[in-house]
Amino acid sequence: MSLTHEIKFTLNGSPVSLTIPLTMSVLTMLRDLLNLTGTKYGCGEGECGACTILIDGVSVNACLKFAVDCDGRTLTTVEGLVADSRNDPLRTAFAEKGGVQCGFCTPGMVMQARHILDNYPRANESQIKRGIEGNLCRCTGYKKIIETIASVGELDNKG
Amino acid sequence: MTNFKSYLAPATLDEAVDQLNQGNVTVLAGGSDLMLRVGAGNYDPSHTLMNILKISELRNITFTESEVQIGALTTITEIMEDPELTIKMPLLGQAADQFASMQIRNVGTIGGNICNASPAGDMLVPLLLLDAAVELARQSDDGVASRRVAIKDFFMGPGKTQRQSNELLTRVSIPISNKGFRARFYKFGTRPALDISTVSIGIGGIFNNGYLQAPRVAFGAVAPVPFMALKTMKAIEQSPLDSERIKEIAEIARDEIKPIDDVRATAWYRKQLVHNLTIKVLSDVTDA
Amino acid sequence: MAAIIEKESLIGKAIPKMDAPGKVSGHTRYIHDLNLPGQLIGRILRSDRVHARIISIDTKEAEALPGVHAVITAKDVPNKPLGVTKDNPPLKGDKVRCERDEIAAVAAETEALAEQALSLIKVEYEELPTLFDPRQALLENAPVIQESKPDNISMEFDYSHGDVEQGEAESDVVIEDLFKLHYVTHCCMGVSGVIADFDSTSGNLTLYSNTQVPFLHKREFASVLNMDPNRIRIIQPPIGGGFGSKLDIYPFEPIAVFLAQKTRRPVKLTFSREEEFLASPTRQPAYLRLRSGVTKEGVLTFRTLDSLLDNGAYTSWGATIPFVMMQTFSSLYRVPHCLYHTTTVYTNNPYAGSFRGYGNLQATFCVEAHMDKLAEAVGIDPLQFRLKNAQQAGETSGQGMHFKSCGFKECLTTAAARSDFGKKREQNLTAQRDDNAVKKGIGMASMLHVGGGAKIYPSDGCGTILKMDDFGHVTLMTGASEIGQGSETVLSQLVCEELGLPLSAVTVVNNDTDITPWDVGVHASRTTFIAGNSAIGAARLAREKILNAAAGTTAMPADQLSLRGGCIVIDESGEAVITLDKLLRSLHFQERAELVTTSFYYEPPSVHQDKAFKGDVSASYAWATQVVEIEVDTLTGVVTLNRCTAAHDVGRVLNKLGIEGQVEGGIVMGQGYALTEDLLIDEGHCQNPNFRDYKLITAPEIPEIDLSFIETMDGEGPQGAKGIGEAPAICMAAAIANALYNATGVRIYEAPFSPEKVYRALKGCSQPLEW
Repeated sequence: MSLTHEIKFTLNGSPVSLTIPLTMSVLTMLRDLLNLTGTKYGCGEGECGACTILIDGVSVNACLKFAVDCDGRTLTTVEGLVADSRNDPLRTAFAEKGGVQCGFCTPGMVMQARHILDNYPRANESQIKRGIEGNLCRCTGYKKIIETIASVGELDNKG
Repeated sequence: MTNFKSYLAPATLDEAVDQLNQGNVTVLAGGSDLMLRVGAGNYDPSHTLMNILKISELRNITFTESEVQIGALTTITEIMEDPELTIKMPLLGQAADQFASMQIRNVGTIGGNICNASPAGDMLVPLLLLDAAVELARQSDDGVASRRVAIKDFFMGPGKTQRQSNELLTRVSIPISNKGFRARFYKFGTRPALDISTVSIGIGGIFNNGYLQAPRVAFGAVAPVPFMALKTMKAIEQSPLDSERIKEIAEIARDEIKPIDDVRATAWYRKQLVHNLTIKVLSDVTDA
Repeated sequence: MAAIIEKESLIGKAIPKMDAPGKVSGHTRYIHDLNLPGQLIGRILRSDRVHARIISIDTKEAEALPGVHAVITAKDVPNKPLGVTKDNPPLKGDKVRCERDEIAAVAAETEALAEQALSLIKVEYEELPTLFDPRQALLENAPVIQESKPDNISMEFDYSHGDVEQGEAESDVVIEDLFKLHYVTHCCMGVSGVIADFDSTSGNLTLYSNTQVPFLHKREFASVLNMDPNRIRIIQPPIGGGFGSKLDIYPFEPIAVFLAQKTRRPVKLTFSREEEFLASPTRQPAYLRLRSGVTKEGVLTFRTLDSLLDNGAYTSWGATIPFVMMQTFSSLYRVPHCLYHTTTVYTNNPYAGSFRGYGNLQATFCVEAHMDKLAEAVGIDPLQFRLKNAQQAGETSGQGMHFKSCGFKECLTTAAARSDFGKKREQNLTAQRDDNAVKKGIGMASMLHVGGGAKIYPSDGCGTILKMDDFGHVTLMTGASEIGQGSETVLSQLVCEELGLPLSAVTVVNNDTDITPWDVGVHASRTTFIAGNSAIGAARLAREKILNAAAGTTAMPADQLSLRGGCIVIDESGEAVITLDKLLRSLHFQERAELVTTSFYYEPPSVHQDKAFKGDVSASYAWATQVVEIEVDTLTGVVTLNRCTAAHDVGRVLNKLGIEGQVEGGIVMGQGYALTEDLLIDEGHCQNPNFRDYKLITAPEIPEIDLSFIETMDGEGPQGAKGIGEAPAICMAAAIANALYNATGVRIYEAPFSPEKVYRALKGCSQPLEW
């Protein structure tokens, strides 16, 4: 009869235990209950990608995911991704190559970039574009974001 | 506060159908469609929310001699990237590739997509084309019983399928086509993806001596449900396909559909698209 | 052995955006990420009618809901109207005029409770006859939208230079066409939001606002709230995009303040994405009838323009775009005679605000269509025709704009050469006749926009306060806001260029009206130019003070010294004399007891337009030419943009990374305006308030982009630079229209060129355009 449910999951490498309402989205859980505001509300409908995070290593729109399903899973948000030094090349490339203007789409782009680089390490420019087609940006026209991701891919492939 | 009455996450199919049998259950799989409905207040708060993602037996792709069986919880990404499926059934991968975005494909399940029965239903047109069938499981005295329904009979209307409330869609079965079976899928949208298409079209058959035998033609987003264009199929069977005949068939296809006007396109334009794309896809299929 | 420091300039280098790291790591807190202790959540109840008298508003049930702290309607607040003509009361009490109208607002402990409270408010309406078509607004029995304007006219403008009758008489060819431009919306990735916080003891108001005009905002709020402006402080959190959407004062902000006043708690009010589509201002739609003439030698003779703007229900900045459109019609290319008239009329549609380009997209769409048509009519190559009529440095336009630095011709020749325009155009013309279903097209368009501010407000200036601490760290306090365009980085760059310091030595403060000096705001592409000159002014004063002090301590004349690499050096040899921080400490801690703090207010040498709208409204002007290459699938009408070759007169490139980002982003925004974006308003209701059906350009759709920057070294601009913020979006639609004609022989007079619209045009069954 309860309206809430307890979930246990790993968030950015640390165990978390939370009681959440059944209809709460992962996005709301992150922002309102866990004060992790790096993941953004852009549309709430899975159209803009601003809320992209990794669940069990795969990129998803946090706004469309039921928080109850996090039980037993591993979540990574932008805060956790950036804290992991393995992602330094990605982090510095985004910061230095002009792919950030207002920055609102940036966390989602960074998370989606990680997914693309992990799963399609030899992605060419066209594949990178398809890879971020679910991430909207109004400021940059995407070009420098694509170049950023491609440059990290080249680094990964060399190293 | 919007909410459901209770929650459970069964680990086996047994538990799931048992719960469904008790009634008042809303199934949660990938969750994309359900979350949108919850946001719109379009759900029943007296229901139990049942998360089926833990039922691992529903997530697999297996090949037999004659068919491929895709578990209902297989994600669209998994379908796209299965190496054997890519070789044996490239059409599915083509459709999956044009479906939404990576983030949506990563969580969207084939079972969820079928049960959602959207008029556009990008994955549904290829399934119609390939003569797929769904398996529906339910509780019975002898344990879990199941029945098969051909996908062409499965859709009743937008969001409505043959699935009874005590049934769970467990897998999609697709016959591995005969040698010589060719099919093409084309999705028109005003951008590559992330679009509920204005029109999608699939045509397939066995091309032999200028004829397209056992033709199958399916359209999405031009009717309340994705449907098989029977008149068009009949016309294709009748004569060898040269460019003149293909044009005639395109006109039959155009007249067979009864689309609506909406914010995405007018009925007139949808008909024009079906006409022109039928020519294109049929020519593609019959090309050497 | 003293160190030798080489001269090294930062100008033209690729400088990463200073605030990028925090944005990448997710640590930057936008308005949505800010929460004040004890805050309540505000929500607005909007009208479901578009024209109706409000008979009653019953809030009793909403007020009684536990967790609801306030429910307000018009009668509960000092409801002074907002906007350009003060016709927009924050809460509507007597009648509603469009679907945005704010009926009531609640403050509650959670978002869910606030939503629930809204659903409990009962409103009784008496429907009134509606008016949706601006072409009917002036008819005899048209419904009156605003009682103070019974003729439904919000604004009217007339402009002329020369004598168009004479112009017509001198013409060998005269053409006239009707153009229609549509509603689009800003779609900033961060939705609108505000936090209003009153200090309970002093009664002072702190407003956390994403306004682009903080000082004007402060003034407006003082008026709207009947408050002493000294008691109002505006703090601007990092913004999730602006593009002009935050230039005006919109009802949701005063409403949040009223709720905070009533509840005596901070109130945070943010929009959902749907509300963002419904309630934030659009770009101004327009009917434009352009009549143009040319002699058979290819010399432009006159332009007559008549336009009708749908003001919507209330007047915001959209109604003032005629000021900018006039500049294009009168001065884009040399036009001896020009007559211009606009009427802006009230309807029950949503109202428009300011949006990157501010009317110039609409005007250029017409002018550049006619440039191609006139060229064709007199049999002259379109590039040569444009070159013949393009102005050069030293000319003054018919509207009184002095083109001191002008790269117009270089833009034209550069873009044409790099895109191989002439050859491709010919090939595409020939290919029109072949049976390939996919047709290629190439099209060209240019634009003129202000590049050195725009003197619309009493002052077009910007203040800077610069302080240096005893380690040589610079704090740059600028009135200029950062809206994602990189102003903080370019201002730091300019200051570091003067002071010989690395960017890491600078902190920029630009977001607090209690700290920063006055600036009129971010608009008109003015920030680099005006804030840049202001920052340079302050930096040069600091440099002077430092070098004079160094001259004192080193017994070398100040004019032989320079600042490089964090040191004072002998200019000629580069020999370091003393480190900067040591010199600063010597000033501060020793007998002189002085700090290095300077301030500078830069007012550009432009003038206000006179009553005839003539005058040099900007300190500089900028041009660009864009050549686009498209493919048209004639079976579906889909237009694919393959390539954009752009040449922009930017005066000088300051931050290479920043300027490329601005231009690439503007090009894609222009692409959306031309091809995919269309806010559909039917009977006053928005039909597609979501990203599913309002189509922004996505990554796979962007064209190849080739950029050339023409450096005309503007005499007044900071290091020679001009403004660039709006330019790249301005002529894309015009260029694509011309490319469509090259591909198919069909010209379309209304945007966007959706597949269905293009398909209908190709089949000869377009909906007719009438006015």
